[in-house]
Amino acid sequence: MGSKESYRTELRSAARQLGDRCLFSAAKWAAELLVSLEPESSFGTTSSPSLSSLSSRASLSAPSTPRTLSGQYRRQTDGSALRRRLRSGGVDFATTPLGGFSYVTTPIPLEDCSEVNSDAYLLAKTYFDCREYRRAANVLTKQTGRKAAFLRCYALYLAGEKRKEEERIEIEGSFGKSEAVNSELVYLERELSSLRKSGTIDSFGLYLYGMILKDRGCQNLSISILVESVNSFPWNWSAWLELQSLCSTSETLNKLNLKNHWMKDFFLASAYQELKMHEEALKRYECLQAVFRRSDYIQAQIATALYGLRELDEAEVVFEEILRNDPYRVDTMDIYSNLLYAKESFSALSFLAHKVFLTDKYQPESCCIIANYYSLKGHHEKAVLYFRRALKLNTKYLSAWTLMGHEYVEMKNTPAAIDAYRRAVDINPRDYRAWYGLGQTYEMMSMPFYALYYFKSASFLQPNDARLWVAMAQCYQSAPLEMLEDAVKCYTKAVSCNDREGIALHQLAKLHSILGHSEKAAYFYKKDLEMMDAEDRQGPNMIEALLFLTKYLKAEKRYEEAEIYCARLLDYSGPEKETAMSLLKGLRIAPSGLPSSSGADHFL
Amino acid sequence: MSLLLLSNWVGIGRRSADPTHLPATARLEPGGIPAPSYFTVNFAHLVIERLTKPSFLSPPGDAPRNASPLYAEMSRLAVSGSSKEGSFAVFDLTPHKIAVCHLIQLFAPLAQQVVPFPFESVSHHNRLGLFLFSLTKACNDFVEPTLEELLNQLRALGGSVNVWFCDHLMSNLLEISSPDDLFNFFDKLRGVITSDSTDIEDDQIILDPSSHIGIFLRCCILSFNLLNFEGVCHLLTSIATYCNSTGSVYELPEEDVDESELDHLLVDTDLGNKMDAPQKYRCSIEASTSDGGSSTSHIHMSSSISSPINDVHVSADSDFKGVGGGVQGVEFMSSLKEYSNVDDYQGFLQPKWQVEGYLTMQADLLEKDTTSYPLNSFTATLNQIQKLAPELHRVKYLKYLNGVYHEDYLIAMENLHRYFDYSAGTEGIFNRSSTPPQEIYVGRYETALLCLGNMHACFGHPKKALEALTEAVRFSQLSNDDPCLAYTLSAICKLFSEVGISSTAGSLGSQDSLETNMSLGAPLSTQQQLLVLLQRSLERADSLKLMSLMAFNRLALSKFYLKHVERPLLSFGPKDSIKLRTCPVTICKELRLSSYVLGEFGSDGLLQTNDDGAFSTSWIKNLSSSSISWFENTKHVRSSVANDFDLFHFDAQPNPVPRSALQLAGSSYLMRATSWELYGSAPSVRLNALVYATCFADAASSVELSLAYVKLIQHLAIFKGYEEAFTALRHAEKKFLPKSKSRIQLLKLQLLHERALHIGQLQAAQQMCDEIGVLASSASGVDLELKIEENLRFARTLLAANEFSKAAGVAYSLFCMCYKFNLQVENATVLLLLSEIHKKSGNAVLALPYVLASLSFCQAFNLDLLEASANLTLAELWLSLGSNHARRALILLHRTLPMILGHGGLELRARANITLAKCHLSDPTFSISEDPNILLDPLNQAAEEFEILEYHEMAAEAFYLMAMVYNHLGQLEAREEAAESFRKHVTALENPHSEDPFLR
Repeated sequence: MGSKESYRTELRSAARQLGDRCLFSAAKWAAELLVSLEPESSFGTTSSPSLSSLSSRASLSAPSTPRTLSGQYRRQTDGSALRRRLRSGGVDFATTPLGGFSYVTTPIPLEDCSEVNSDAYLLAKTYFDCREYRRAANVLTKQTGRKAAFLRCYALYLAGEKRKEEERIEIEGSFGKSEAVNSELVYLERELSSLRKSGTIDSFGLYLYGMILKDRGCQNLSISILVESVNSFPWNWSAWLELQSLCSTSETLNKLNLKNHWMKDFFLASAYQELKMHEEALKRYECLQAVFRRSDYIQAQIATALYGLRELDEAEVVFEEILRNDPYRVDTMDIYSNLLYAKESFSALSFLAHKVFLTDKYQPESCCIIANYYSLKGHHEKAVLYFRRALKLNTKYLSAWTLMGHEYVEMKNTPAAIDAYRRAVDINPRDYRAWYGLGQTYEMMSMPFYALYYFKSASFLQPNDARLWVAMAQCYQSAPLEMLEDAVKCYTKAVSCNDREGIALHQLAKLHSILGHSEKAAYFYKKDLEMMDAEDRQGPNMIEALLFLTKYLKAEKRYEEAEIYCARLLDYSGPEKETAMSLLKGLRIAPSGLPSSSGADHFL
Repeated sequence: MSLLLLSNWVGIGRRSADPTHLPATARLEPGGIPAPSYFTVNFAHLVIERLTKPSFLSPPGDAPRNASPLYAEMSRLAVSGSSKEGSFAVFDLTPHKIAVCHLIQLFAPLAQQVVPFPFESVSHHNRLGLFLFSLTKACNDFVEPTLEELLNQLRALGGSVNVWFCDHLMSNLLEISSPDDLFNFFDKLRGVITSDSTDIEDDQIILDPSSHIGIFLRCCILSFNLLNFEGVCHLLTSIATYCNSTGSVYELPEEDVDESELDHLLVDTDLGNKMDAPQKYRCSIEASTSDGGSSTSHIHMSSSISSPINDVHVSADSDFKGVGGGVQGVEFMSSLKEYSNVDDYQGFLQPKWQVEGYLTMQADLLEKDTTSYPLNSFTATLNQIQKLAPELHRVKYLKYLNGVYHEDYLIAMENLHRYFDYSAGTEGIFNRSSTPPQEIYVGRYETALLCLGNMHACFGHPKKALEALTEAVRFSQLSNDDPCLAYTLSAICKLFSEVGISSTAGSLGSQDSLETNMSLGAPLSTQQQLLVLLQRSLERADSLKLMSLMAFNRLALSKFYLKHVERPLLSFGPKDSIKLRTCPVTICKELRLSSYVLGEFGSDGLLQTNDDGAFSTSWIKNLSSSSISWFENTKHVRSSVANDFDLFHFDAQPNPVPRSALQLAGSSYLMRATSWELYGSAPSVRLNALVYATCFADAASSVELSLAYVKLIQHLAIFKGYEEAFTALRHAEKKFLPKSKSRIQLLKLQLLHERALHIGQLQAAQQMCDEIGVLASSASGVDLELKIEENLRFARTLLAANEFSKAAGVAYSLFCMCYKFNLQVENATVLLLLSEIHKKSGNAVLALPYVLASLSFCQAFNLDLLEASANLTLAELWLSLGSNHARRALILLHRTLPMILGHGGLELRARANITLAKCHLSDPTFSISEDPNILLDPLNQAAEEFEILEYHEMAAEAFYLMAMVYNHLGQLEAREEAAESFRKHVTALENPHSEDPFLR
């Protein structure tokens, strides 16, 4: 096992089985993956890399992967780049030894051919396809086979879900009680647990059981059941997704007792992505992409990871590629729209919005994209309208809550913004953007002390983000608090986190000079100056730095160095030039006034 | 009278021959629901108008003043339904409400009888009416009662007819099986209230459509009319579950069985039978789910119930020993019921206003009696509410309070932020009138800052607290939130009184950095800033006629004037115009003006009839404790939780004065007591403390109430001796649960120390002293009050042990501390102590300047009683300087005697008497034989008083002097008697018997 052909047979059979059980989205996923495998014949000579070697390699060679190469993740339509990449990669793979790491082969479960009443099953499936769930379940009541049992339970479950959705709209009570419950859960739980006890449950049944347990709030049991399910039938991506949703921390993730199937790589990569461990996710996806070369899914995930790492240009290239390949795709396009928003590409965003609108306007992602477009155009009311629609379609749509918070901030409706951000935080307490948004909102309302709590929470989650530290420092620095010492600490932390905007250095220098630590102030002004020179920036900060340094060095009696800075000041027009002139005059006179001491020091 | 009022509450009027009778009662009744004539408009129309036009509600100028209670009532009922876009839910129609409607139908049939069919008597009829009334108002619990509970209460109402009621109700509910039945039911219901006023005959029973019950009924009908078909279907299924949840119980032939079972359960929990209760609970679950098959119940156990069981266990372990056992039992019971209901029958929430009332009530109880709320079980209850009502954000506030009172920083912090994030845009803590959210959001975030500051103060972070409170002041000024400003200022005042100001110097919004100068300037500047703030907000409140803010500001200012002089004491310079004195007249004026608020409440936003639902509870409580037998236990609850105030008003109406006004007025009395304590009028202290403890106990927080008790007990100790004080203290300890650092604890230590000093147990005294010291925090500048108390007592103990130089050292360092923190009032006491020390060490000349300094302090601050005792010391000093000063001393003494005899305690009076006798004795011109009673009377008095105080040393002196006098007079028998007493006291002093006064 391990050849592409084997993947192909596994996936093919899995897609068929999943489809047979009406697990449509999992079947879709498997089929997509199946197609993404390149036909082996075209590269017959190159030995196809087995994934086992890949993932062992992933942990070793990843840090050296240069991501700055443009177009690395692009799948050229002409295939030349791909080939180039592959050739180099192929050689690499061939020489890499299999570091004692191999996948466990999982036998493809055979179809239950002994289904006596397969006609009844056929009827049930047709009912199911027509979304007449209760009828489908009813047809299968007398059936005993595993397949039939699964479909019956699944149909019941979906019937319950459908009713739940309806009820949710019906009983919007005065307390906002929207917690309609799937009324079938109790019955199904009982049924499935007895099935499991008697041993007549297959992996699909286990998947359903796990899902039901999750809905009932038994997390731990649900995790173990789902692990059991994916270990016996790893190709059910929906099961993996359920499992992923239960792993909210990396600890739980590491504790899972999973068999080493290649599907596990997909799972881990996606889970890392969710836990914002973008680097790790990217490594895994790179490896997977070597095998599933034409997979849109992997591409989209890579693009998302790149976006998470704020490599906007690269991500954009990948997204464009995906869209070219699959023009009617809506999944993950909301992230693309976020990216376009960040890059302020109006036309591209409008194009995307138009496209998804024509494809399926009642998808939460579509609404989000349209809202992003309006937001970029400055039509915040309309943006809110569309975010609201997205949230109506999916109340747990995290990024929509956060983005809506941003919109409300723009509209100066602070209570609504706070509410939106808070809901985002309550859905996922690890969403640092929402914490940051909360902090910003309170700061806007001139409650800096209160805002500190939120900035602290945000920087706790994302300790290496300089922006958060700068925001916190600005809070400390603000007029009502004036806790300059604390502000200095925060700015220092921001500098150590590589603050790209250069605010921290400048403020540090300024604060130190206010606090009277002129030596430190000079140090930071100098650093700030260096950074501005390196990035070729000009502006008032530059003048301030030069002025301070000149004065400081003059006071320190290092006249020659002072002259250098002073001379740079002469480049500016306006009052600065005048000051510089007079300073320069002073500098020229000063050393001659004290010839003996300074002169002697120099020559010693 | 009461019957008339009752009938009006219930909304039933029996038409007597005089048709004007009913309106007359309506006018009579103060807090109830008058029936204004314009209320004949269609009800549905009004409610809809209310929902769409919120502005209609708020301005009081629009509607006639006397109509406002009705409006509040209406809008409360109406707005309790959400006004979500599109939906017109008036309030949720639940099976319980339908059951109540059914009972109302029985209560007010369309028949023309004095006593309608099933009732036995008029009083019986009225009782049902009262019961129904309280059902619609009650907020004892957040979940509506189950059918079982309803039936039980109904049965307990008394009368065999009630069994018929139960049957009738049950069968009628069971009859409802299709949507059409519901339609018919409501059609019939409409007949109850639409009686035309034209053809009413005498003695006919009519349900006033604008009475409370009438409104309730109409709300039900309206909300049924607004229901769509889906809603009707939902209602139908919930009626089925409502009936089934108690179906099995109902089948029991004797209705006593389950009551006795309940009793058993209650008794069990009361006795602290820890294992049994969860066991029973388990059984009940098993029973309730038995129809589901055996396997299910196991799953249920493992999944959803297991965690609550743990919680229950914890609570059972930790809390059944406590005093609040009664509370526990009931709480426990209800939580059991809730949990057993979790699975099949979730219960329906009461209308929003009642749930909020319940929560407010819980918040009050939590403050008064923290230990009866175990952290976990209360959290479980709150979680359940939150699950049932995710949009009810107030639950989070309760969680925050729970965290604060159980000292869980993380829970408190998280929930505080969560609460205000969700709700501050629409609701604050104050101003929670029933107005629906306005179109323009006005945030209430300043209350968030206030809470944050309080929380930090509670957890001992004064600096952070002050920062938060400073921000709160700024923000509430910015957003014109005056009630919040008042509360914030009071929080800052409290913080300053707990924390020495030098540690928080210069941070109250001051940008100038005076922080470097910690010794004298900075603390004053912080205080001055507070003073300026107070004065400014007083001016503003005055101009805007904000009564409560004004009242508060006056209170705070009076406190300020009482304790702090307006300028630093050391003022060098030619002008001596600086006022260095506190002025009792000003303070008295401020205090009087502040309690003026009681008369004026209602004109202010804060004090609008802010009916938070809490009052409603007293209805069902009264009802239950008077008539329902198995609710006997609630009496326990009442005695331990509710204040004595409630006992006076057992059957009276709930107090119509809002809590906040009561609190303000109350604290003015407390403040008066304190100021009189300083100015030295013992009867006034007692009077004011008594007024507070009796009249304002209902609204008081436990801290303030305990302060009043402390003052009363101190008074007892000073005037009646320790015996009585300790008896009173024991009662107080029972009332206020022991907390470390509480005032009661401190008082106990103080009394014990005093007593130990008097009877000569110096070691015990030293121990008490150390214990007081332990109560104070070790950080400098914090808990100054406690530290001063400790040092004063330490110096006194040393003095009693004749360690003069050490005592003087302690007193001197204490003086330095008081000076540093600007505690001038305390300085006077310390100076007097110093002079006492020198006097006792025999160095009268050295003692003189101290006593004179103390005197000048006393005069500056009008500390009359302290001045009197300083004068006494001065007289003693003159006396010890030689017999030629005796005359002078006597004159001084005569001048101060009125003050001492009028207001001084036992000890002071006795000391004055002895000194008086001594003056006469050492006066060479005085002859004993002329009038021996001049000497004997004061000495007898002194001896008697010292004996009450068990002050052996001084009593011995009194008897010694007495014996001398008798000897001089030649009355040998009397002399022997006095000498015997003298000997008794001296031996007692030398061999102090160790006896714990608390064991007596």
